[in-house]
Amino acid sequence: MTETSSPPAGTVMFPRPKKRIRGRSIAILVFLTMAALFFCIPLYVLVTTSFKTMDQIREGAIFSLPEVWTFEAWRYAWDEACSGITCEGLKRGFVNSLEILFPSLIASIAISAVTGYALALWSVRWAGGFLFLLFLCAFVPFQIIMYPLIVITVNMGIYGSIWAVAFIHTVLAMPVLTLIFRNYYKDIPPDIIKAAVMDNGSFWRIFIEIILPMSGNILIVVLIMQITSIWNDYLIGVTFGGLGAQPMTVNLANMVTVTTGTVSYNVNMAAALQTAIPPLVIYFVLGKFFVEGIAAGAVKG
Amino acid sequence: MPRVSFEHIVKKFGEVMVLNSLNLAVDDGDFLVLLGPSGCGKTTLLNLLAGLSDVTSGRIMIGNRDVTELDPKDRRLAMVFQSYALYPTKTVRGNLRFGLSASKLPQEEIEKRIAWAADMLQIGPLMDRRPAQLSGGQRQRVAIGRALVKHADVLLFDEPLSNLDAKLRTEMRMEIKKLHEELNPTVVYVTHDQIEAMTMATRIAIMNGGKIEQFGTPDDVYERPANLFVAGFIGSPSMNLLPATVEPGGQARLADGSPLDMSAYAFGAVPPPGTALMAGLRPEHFALAGPAEAACRFTLKVRHIERTGSDVMLALAFGEATLTVRAAPADAGHLRTGDPVSVQFPKDRLNLFDAGSGRRI
Amino acid sequence: MGIRWSRLTPQLALAPAVALTAIAFIGSIGWTILLSLTSSRRLPDYTIDWSDPLRQYRRLFADLGWNIALSNLIILAIGSALAIVFGFVLAAMIERERRGEDFFRTVFLYPLAISLIVTGVAWRWIFNPSLGIESFFHSLGMTWVSFNWLADGRTAMYAIILASVWQSSGFYMALMLAGLKAINVEIWSAARMDGVALWRVYLEIIIPMMKFTFLTCAILLSLGVIKAYDIIVAMTNGGPGQSTWLPAYFTIKAMSAKGNLAFASAAAAMMLAITVVVFLPLVLLTAWQQRARKGAAG
Repeated sequence: MTETSSPPAGTVMFPRPKKRIRGRSIAILVFLTMAALFFCIPLYVLVTTSFKTMDQIREGAIFSLPEVWTFEAWRYAWDEACSGITCEGLKRGFVNSLEILFPSLIASIAISAVTGYALALWSVRWAGGFLFLLFLCAFVPFQIIMYPLIVITVNMGIYGSIWAVAFIHTVLAMPVLTLIFRNYYKDIPPDIIKAAVMDNGSFWRIFIEIILPMSGNILIVVLIMQITSIWNDYLIGVTFGGLGAQPMTVNLANMVTVTTGTVSYNVNMAAALQTAIPPLVIYFVLGKFFVEGIAAGAVKG
Repeated sequence: MPRVSFEHIVKKFGEVMVLNSLNLAVDDGDFLVLLGPSGCGKTTLLNLLAGLSDVTSGRIMIGNRDVTELDPKDRRLAMVFQSYALYPTKTVRGNLRFGLSASKLPQEEIEKRIAWAADMLQIGPLMDRRPAQLSGGQRQRVAIGRALVKHADVLLFDEPLSNLDAKLRTEMRMEIKKLHEELNPTVVYVTHDQIEAMTMATRIAIMNGGKIEQFGTPDDVYERPANLFVAGFIGSPSMNLLPATVEPGGQARLADGSPLDMSAYAFGAVPPPGTALMAGLRPEHFALAGPAEAACRFTLKVRHIERTGSDVMLALAFGEATLTVRAAPADAGHLRTGDPVSVQFPKDRLNLFDAGSGRRI
Repeated sequence: MGIRWSRLTPQLALAPAVALTAIAFIGSIGWTILLSLTSSRRLPDYTIDWSDPLRQYRRLFADLGWNIALSNLIILAIGSALAIVFGFVLAAMIERERRGEDFFRTVFLYPLAISLIVTGVAWRWIFNPSLGIESFFHSLGMTWVSFNWLADGRTAMYAIILASVWQSSGFYMALMLAGLKAINVEIWSAARMDGVALWRVYLEIIIPMMKFTFLTCAILLSLGVIKAYDIIVAMTNGGPGQSTWLPAYFTIKAMSAKGNLAFASAAAAMMLAITVVVFLPLVLLTAWQQRARKGAAG
């Protein structure tokens, strides 16, 4: 009933066998690994096919590795492949996508951050109603506002330019991003604003000097979310980009769907990979924020 | 009947040794409290007994069954969790029944036990509510009920009162104590609250740094702390510990030069003169006046005073150090900061520790 | 009394957002619905024929393509629901077996970072009858295997379902994993001590506790299905024939066909109606759930 004396240090009494991995663990790991393989198939096929020669592809072994690794398809997809009536490869689309990306990012994040800040921290009487409206707008299908937006951009004189695409990206992202910023800012104690107002801070000075420095995390999350969604967009680009401002995804779709004559699968796969690489790089480098972005932007769908 | 014993328990998390060759045993019907500061390994020990984590080496016995390798469900234990861990989507009745559903008991036996527990804990009117609709105290009762219906050999509690407010905590303390007296199961109860330990336990194991510092009855650990850690940990306000040196003739001298009479102390072995000691003096044992045979007496200045209503806590300037004394308002009510006050400590209440090893002498 | 700028500036700062919402969302929705009631052809014509304002809608529901699109919508919704189930299974396994969590999560989630056009290109290549996975199985001697799904109107939708399950399972997995991790570990311990079989713990305790997560997934899934467009363009372009048309595809096609503006607007309005019908009950249910939870806590 009392403490018995300990054996000398270092002696192990009643040793337990090393824990083996249990059967259930093995089953789970096997299942997860098989699922992982399933998820990797398309990427594997894309990569291997893009490095094969058309001769090897015609043999029909989709899972085989390239016999000769060739960059020819990559070069051709980038430089020469035909998309619609032009044959300049994907590089035009790549540049367009970049040119669309930056103004879209700046405009959509700026307007949403300011709106979210005003709604969260300044007692605007109609804030609740407006937030609810934004919440509903976040779910509106694009098609129902598509025609009016075309008319509006035509009248603004920007239809068919990167500015039209950037403008529409800003409009469509605004509701969700505003909700995200608002939800982030509403956890800031309102006393900070009261104190800052007492210290003669104005709306904008408080935003720039106090709120923005506190927003680092959410800015990165939103930035990653927006980069991937703008880069991967097809519908807005094809609708508003006209012929001159088609983003990379539109080029790619034209390249793979409207091909006359023999289909160069290796070129198609190389083009698809070139389109996918920028967001993939961001995903693999900043994966943690990407997951957070998914949780934050879950409503975006 | 179940005597719970831990034999040479070693638990490592990776390379970190949490419990090092720990031995502990309690008898059937004992209420064992594992008490210690956070991180002392008490919850780890409870989880090992529950089977929620595995020992690195060592053996756990319940009665004469070696349960070390058994699944939690086969150990015949029931547990009350800190957060209660009630199933939020089930009613109170559903919570009680779910725990029994794996036991293959006949339906009427299950119903009988549920009715018995409901009656025992007075949760009858709550049976069709969900946990979210219950108050903290009610959830606590349901959690205990869920453990009781299993008729387990050993009941485990993991800091079950820490989420309750002070008043409810006192009530539930009484209630758990009463349950233990009525049903007399073996209980292993983890807490960091010494009041809970002192009021409920029949045995206390005081743990620190993965070791058991002292194992004994509540009176043991209070009256005869085994070492300096226990001396400082048990009691509030904590024991005054004053350095002293042994002199010939059952005497010692405190750091300030005043004599300390150790003649009434029950020595295990009398230390030779010159030995460095720590004298432990509980604040509540001091007397401001009175004829008691004193081990030592001082006249010291009051540094500050704290009145709690029932008591007056005096912080007296003992050189650089502070001597805490608890006095009755009648004796000390008139004192002000800076006043000199005479205090004496009764001979038979002395605690002495070896300054080097920290052990009780 | 001067102007109280501290009152006014926030409202001014909100002006652009309010203007965009009013014009680009509310105004535009009204505009499209108005158009759907007219007989606009190539150019908008805002006179409503009050004798028969709903004739575009009647035309729409008489249209074979629209009816195919609607039934495909249901097929796709049911098929894609597999992604939620699959996502939950993956999340539960990852959560149970902590080993390799980061690796598996990364692998299951990467399709989400890729454009649906790229996804479509990849899967179309896999489904290529003479060079894709079918020929791989045939070369193994399993000549009875057929993966020529895209060429057959009866199976093309299944290929699209497979591709969208591949694309979105990781997303649901991530949401479910967050939901699973929010469950108190002591619940698991209590269930373990109760000795109840694992499948019962999931079925009776864990899944009911996660109903909020499941509802969120269901809402997102239905929205995704209604919006599905890119994947159709990249995989089948609606074909073979009209067999993989979906409302989103139908509407865009009608819009870009020119000369049929009122008809296309009616289709767009129906898409909005579908969204409202599917989405409103789910959102109300979610709001009700949240309120019930809050009420219980308070």
